[in-house]
Amino acid sequence: MSVAKLEQLSQSVVQDPSLATGAIPTKDWMDIPVVFKPGDYAYPAKQDKVEYLNSQKGLNFPNAREWSPEDDDWKLPENWKEIIIDGLGERLEKFRSLKIFMDCCVRCGACADKCHFFLGTGDPKNMPVLRAELLRSVYRNDFTLAGRILGKMAGGREMTIGVLKEWFMYSYQCTECRRCSVFCPYGIDTAEVTMMLRELLHLVGIGINWILEPASNSNRTGNHMGLQPHTFKDNVDFLAEDVEGLTGVKIEPTFNRKGAEILFITPSADVFAEPGLYTAMGYLILFEHLGLDYTWSTYASEGGNFGLFTNNETMKKLNAKMYAEAERLGVKFIVGGECGHMWRVLHQYMDTMNGPADFLEVPKSPLTGTVFENSASTKMIHISEFTADLIKHGKLNLDKSRNSHVKATYHDSCNPARAMGLMDEPRYILDHVVDWVEMPENTIREQTFCCGSGTGLNTDEIMELRMRSGLPRANAVKYVEDKHGVNMLSCVCAIDRATLTSLMDYWNPNVGVCGITELVGNAIVLDGETRGELDEGLRTMVF
Amino acid sequence: MAGILEITNSYRKGCGMTLEEALHNNRYKIVDKWVEYTLSTYQASDFFRKEKDSFANPIGGTIRDSLKKIFSMLAKNEDASSFREPLSRIMHLRSVQEFTPSQAVAPLNAVKHITRDVLASDKETKALVTDLYDFEFSVDLALLAAFDLYVECRERIYKIRVDEIRSGKQILTDSACPSKALDNIKAIKR
Repeated sequence: MSVAKLEQLSQSVVQDPSLATGAIPTKDWMDIPVVFKPGDYAYPAKQDKVEYLNSQKGLNFPNAREWSPEDDDWKLPENWKEIIIDGLGERLEKFRSLKIFMDCCVRCGACADKCHFFLGTGDPKNMPVLRAELLRSVYRNDFTLAGRILGKMAGGREMTIGVLKEWFMYSYQCTECRRCSVFCPYGIDTAEVTMMLRELLHLVGIGINWILEPASNSNRTGNHMGLQPHTFKDNVDFLAEDVEGLTGVKIEPTFNRKGAEILFITPSADVFAEPGLYTAMGYLILFEHLGLDYTWSTYASEGGNFGLFTNNETMKKLNAKMYAEAERLGVKFIVGGECGHMWRVLHQYMDTMNGPADFLEVPKSPLTGTVFENSASTKMIHISEFTADLIKHGKLNLDKSRNSHVKATYHDSCNPARAMGLMDEPRYILDHVVDWVEMPENTIREQTFCCGSGTGLNTDEIMELRMRSGLPRANAVKYVEDKHGVNMLSCVCAIDRATLTSLMDYWNPNVGVCGITELVGNAIVLDGETRGELDEGLRTMVF
Repeated sequence: MAGILEITNSYRKGCGMTLEEALHNNRYKIVDKWVEYTLSTYQASDFFRKEKDSFANPIGGTIRDSLKKIFSMLAKNEDASSFREPLSRIMHLRSVQEFTPSQAVAPLNAVKHITRDVLASDKETKALVTDLYDFEFSVDLALLAAFDLYVECRERIYKIRVDEIRSGKQILTDSACPSKALDNIKAIKR
């Protein structure tokens, strides 16, 4: 632009070129260093959490220490570079997918503009292709002939502290939502590239607290919150009392009951934090309505698996506890609640890590007789599959008018949508329990936009980053709010329920967030109920 | 002053175009340049400019849509309070992106220079440049409103952060773990 005053205007406010500050890049991407400022990185893991995890059998979390990304010295082991390169070599051997993803990208750019982090920040290193290139450049340099000979000319670069810092910055600006993979003609799963980056970083003691503390809690007490058995039980009982207060129906959930037909596992956030606990009330009402022979477990008291965000050993261990508990209790199969990444672990990794679960039976609905062949090996079905089948067979007594205060839309939570193909069941349920509308086509189903805070990025110190990365989702919600008067964003993921609440508070403050089963629970007409007018459904305060 | 301007405006200059007409006739040109300038503050400005689907390109879409509305209000000399909605959408974006406060609001000011430049570059509208006082004053008001909105957005972020902590999720990272608390009790008893 040639307007002189405009140039002055730009100069007076734009400082030195740095990523995403609005300045025009003057260097090649490889030559722009990352700068850590408060607000753009999640806090490092606490030393005692890392020490605890490292002390556990089969887990490897070395180099526990106090450190800060803002410091020049990250207190890495002396041979950190060797550890990283060896670690990469080991993973290239172990994971065929990684080797393929490193080799087959042709940089067509189809993924470039599909990432919510890129769309919300405009930072080129958030283009999935470039984020993967952060690892690929090192791979080329050290593991390919062309890279060894030609170095930078072949797109290779040496592993340096600067590169390592860049890995930390950008592998924690990816929520492993896999939207980019939908558009990749080769099917490169960039989430797996991020997973590998995070695994490698853990080898030298680089990790964030919001992930490692829940992972260590989960390993110790069975859930992210670190709730012990009695506390977990108390919370569920408390929710059952709330249901009684609202409906007059007394529910007495059982815990760790041997011989129950079904083990029910959901994210612990559902029994602890708003608005998830209304979804948990929905589960209680649904199961009571059916007279289901099920039990909660105070040991497998967590559906989420933060191991997925650290390394495959931790993921395997945390996933295994669900099956160990199912075997101990002697249930026939597992029903899983509304969780996101639990389902990714289950559908994509469980079978090779801990499966097949031969000691369980192929899930068969005790009410409809439907056999869920899709879960023949994992023996675990999603609450939405279970509920949709019940509705299809007319097993639920539903009064849709009880949700008349709600005009909903549906957010396809990334993992259930893209990692397990759960797209029609929640919609079928919504059709029967609430008035709802779809968001625009390129923001739903396989193309759904992430909440912006998945993979353990739902921590408050990076709130601005979360708001930017959640923009594409919020933008689509705003459209249906303006056009159709939508006041509720429904979803099937506990992280969504927590993070979309904050996202809506910022971008669309008139839109609430709920789980699908909350709406189901609210619409169910229970036998013997004495329910009054509940203006806000299960959220109504009753005194 | 406004009275004098009205008289000036009503006295048709040059080929007989009023400032309002000139702004209306040049609105696409001015808004285009304004959008382009605003988007040039992002690294990925090319993509933000080109992609027209506002769901695939929320930054580009929001900026374009909002600046278009604001310009139409500025051109009609509307009351500053009416800028709030479109301005708020822009400030919601820019207050959580990595801009300094001045960087966040500066592109709003650009419309002054762009409008002057566009009108001055056409001989039919050149003379109207001297009549831009009221228009530019409206831009000043919009800019001031933008500062308020910027701070409102920042304050909202702080509130959301506190709300998250209050909602109980802090037990994940910030509280002593329950078993450790039990250890402490045992230690006291000993």
